[in-house]
Amino acid sequence: MKNWFGTLKALVWKDLLQEWRSKDMLTSMLAFAILSLFIFNYAMELDPLQRAELAPGVIWVVIMFSGTLGLNRSFLAEQEQGSFDALVMAVPDVAVIWLAKQISNFLIMLILILITLPVYSVLYNQNLFVPLFLIVLILGAWGFSAAGTLISGMTVQTRMRDLLLPVLLFPVLMPVNMAVVKAGQGVISGADFSTYQVWISILIVYGIIMTTISLLVFDYVIRE
Amino acid sequence: MLSENKPLKTLTFLSILLVLLAFLMVIFYAPVELNMGMVQKVFYFHVSAAWLGMLAFLVAAISGILFLSKKNLLYDHIAASSVEIGLLFTAIANFTGMIWARPIWNTWWTWDPRLTTMTIMAFTYIAFILLRRGIDEPYKKARFGAIYALVGFVSVPITFFSARLLRTIHPIIIGGGSGEMAMTSRMYQTMAAGLVAFTLLFVVLLWQRTRLAEAAAVIDRLKAEQNAEEFGEVENG
Repeated sequence: MKNWFGTLKALVWKDLLQEWRSKDMLTSMLAFAILSLFIFNYAMELDPLQRAELAPGVIWVVIMFSGTLGLNRSFLAEQEQGSFDALVMAVPDVAVIWLAKQISNFLIMLILILITLPVYSVLYNQNLFVPLFLIVLILGAWGFSAAGTLISGMTVQTRMRDLLLPVLLFPVLMPVNMAVVKAGQGVISGADFSTYQVWISILIVYGIIMTTISLLVFDYVIRE
Repeated sequence: MLSENKPLKTLTFLSILLVLLAFLMVIFYAPVELNMGMVQKVFYFHVSAAWLGMLAFLVAAISGILFLSKKNLLYDHIAASSVEIGLLFTAIANFTGMIWARPIWNTWWTWDPRLTTMTIMAFTYIAFILLRRGIDEPYKKARFGAIYALVGFVSVPITFFSARLLRTIHPIIIGGGSGEMAMTSRMYQTMAAGLVAFTLLFVVLLWQRTRLAEAAAVIDRLKAEQNAEEFGEVENG
């Protein structure tokens, strides 16, 4: 078991270090996210009241799209260098590879969220740094990275690669989108917790289900 | 598998007869609904098509699991065939629904949970087909297809549940409370006939399509062997 966690830590560290040294992925994701916020401003020039209601939706769409951009590269190094086989041989359990990748994808999403939120708050003069909203986004990022890591592990091995990822991922992410936006609107509008509690439950259930399925089937994604 | 198949032939004719019978029942046997009029008759095939759309997903997910445990390509062919048929019938359900919705709801489309879920399901089917088209190696194609079918099959009910939390105006036929649609026994009989006929049609289509997929796989194998002979290469698999 100690070996298991040691491997997990090493793999996550490897991903983060790789990203820290190149910063390719995070820079593009952040630039994309902030540019999208600008585009949204002109796409829907709304009065402040309406905008406040739409904020959770806008934020989530921006985070999800730039997250997809990052997911495309998530397994690229392994695929291009052909290091999948070496990884499979090196770890005690193949599920560790998936879990490590999921954690590093989740952490990158977290950085994205922690930068996008204040930027939005400054640009639109609306404080979105509400702890509960942050929790909703984090739960959304968990579901997103759980389903996304599994699916990007497959699409990276196909001919169409990045073209295919959103087509495969978005239908599966539908419940997460609905739940994040609805729960987010509840939090931001200051509604009673009981009115949007169910959406938070959906996020948790979705995360648990997707994580379980991925741990069960990831073996088939990388091993012949 | 690829030789002449007597039971399949019989079943095919039977399914054609049954679909025709159901069609005649819809036209002549089922009464005209009091409030909605003629357009309500689209409902019988709408329900049957929607049922097949969901059944096909179940079949695809089960064949996917069977493939992952047994590694037999037959299950992959069944899953792929089921998804194609499922996409067709999901589309039929959506379009017949729209034909009905326009006069009754006064709109082609609403964001009702069933409409949303059916359409998301159709997109999951499309994604499944695209994913398999992007892979050449048959076993990898089958593995990835199976995984995606499983993930899709699990997420679609959550989508339905989530969408249902937002209000619905869709008539509830079975197990509903206040929104129930009143149906006479003739209507129920016609609906049952449609469901039986379409289910048999599904079995026939699935069987035929799977045979076609098997034949295609045989041809691919023969082609690969011929190539290997011509170029003196040893192909594996």
